[in-house]
Amino acid sequence: MHIMEGYLPPLHAVAWTVTAAPFVVAGVRRIQRVAEDHPETKLLLATSGAFAFVLSALKIPSVTGSCSHPTGVGLGAVLFGPNVMAVLGTIVLLFQALLLAHGGLTTLGANAFSMAVVGPWVAFGVWRMASGMGRSLAVFLAAALGNLATYCTTSVQLALAFPDPATGIGGALVKFLSIFAITQIPLAVVEGLLTVVVVNLLMQYSRDELSTLSFAPRTASRAKVVGAE
Amino acid sequence: MLAIDRHAWTNRWHARHPLEKLLPALVMMLVALVMSPWPTAPLVIAVMVTLAVAGAGVPATAVLGTLAVPLGFLLTGVPVLALAVDVSDGLSLGLAPDGLEMAAAVTSRSLAATSCLVFLILTTPMADLMPLLGRIGVPRLIRDLMLLMYRLIFIFLDCAITGRQAQVGRLGYDGPRRSLRSLGWLAGSLFQRSLDRGRRLETGLAARGFTGDLPQPSDGRTPSPVALLAGVALPLAVACAAWLGPLEYAAWTK
Repeated sequence: MHIMEGYLPPLHAVAWTVTAAPFVVAGVRRIQRVAEDHPETKLLLATSGAFAFVLSALKIPSVTGSCSHPTGVGLGAVLFGPNVMAVLGTIVLLFQALLLAHGGLTTLGANAFSMAVVGPWVAFGVWRMASGMGRSLAVFLAAALGNLATYCTTSVQLALAFPDPATGIGGALVKFLSIFAITQIPLAVVEGLLTVVVVNLLMQYSRDELSTLSFAPRTASRAKVVGAE
Repeated sequence: MLAIDRHAWTNRWHARHPLEKLLPALVMMLVALVMSPWPTAPLVIAVMVTLAVAGAGVPATAVLGTLAVPLGFLLTGVPVLALAVDVSDGLSLGLAPDGLEMAAAVTSRSLAATSCLVFLILTTPMADLMPLLGRIGVPRLIRDLMLLMYRLIFIFLDCAITGRQAQVGRLGYDGPRRSLRSLGWLAGSLFQRSLDRGRRLETGLAARGFTGDLPQPSDGRTPSPVALLAGVALPLAVACAAWLGPLEYAAWTK
């Protein structure tokens, strides 16, 4: 759900950039704080970011016959937490614009807001709330709803930019939501299932690595372990 | 692997200072965004494609091919923009009055802006753009992160392609169920490898006295003032032509 370069009117592009900026800045601050004491976090984040970019370049088998790409929004939110995802997601979006001509520079703010801010926060919130329901279901819901939240945000952004001549922003929102629903709802389900497969695989084979990773809640304890080495 | 990156490193202008290419691309993008799409958009596209092909020597097929993908996305968006929700009798979709014109305007404006982006990324290696990010206040940490990511992407892509081939060879993508599982395993094992590589980088750098800085050699190039001036003058000339052109034409045919 990338908004293409130049698609949004300049004022909207600036407004969305300003909206997304505080979240990204907060994420940068957080990473900086951790990296000050533990410079190796930088390396781990770089490899994770490169992984996220490659993941987004893999083709997803889609139900409707067309193919799409995993967003990794849910996976990233579960693994790193939404703060770090705001930074990694924005960088990945910039890489997609500069290496694949996908998305754009003027729409980076709008895309970052939907894919690196709203999506991960929703996914993270759902994951936290649903964690009592069993791991697989929680991960599925987090990834699928995170994906859906991204698509709803993009629809709102487009509706605000292109209101319906007769029914205004509300009508345009209904239009964009209903047209994109055809492709996005099946994709959200596929991404949810995919994320479950990935997380289950990781839990099975790299539990140790995951415990050293857990960037979101256990950074301090991880740092101690690394520092002692 | 990434055709855009290959052209960025091999075109005639790859060694020029990145600002000399960034400036015309951004100013031209601004012109494309603020001026009315007709006749600005076709002019911008023509100028940017010509600059990339005739100036930087990027093959025309590469330029047009890179533009074709966003164009595909844009064209699928045309009906979405042109349609309107009708609530007069139930909920139904219909063609909005002026819907097609509006959709055409948005699509051509976006394509013009994309042509500026395509010119930039086909002529300028991404590693060259990163030092410029520092000048607009992007912190060192983020630039280091990006530069590392840029180096790692190609290794991981190679991994992903090899892994996928191996899975395809074992009928891993036979049917949606198996495809989903194969893709999940591919993503999962890629992530394991990326963690592993991160750890090896840690060890390797720690052994070399890593304190958190990844110093970059400064490239010592300075932008040529003439090129910078041309980079601003050209978009302004296009803007003037797009603004005056129709007036001149009207006066001439009167």
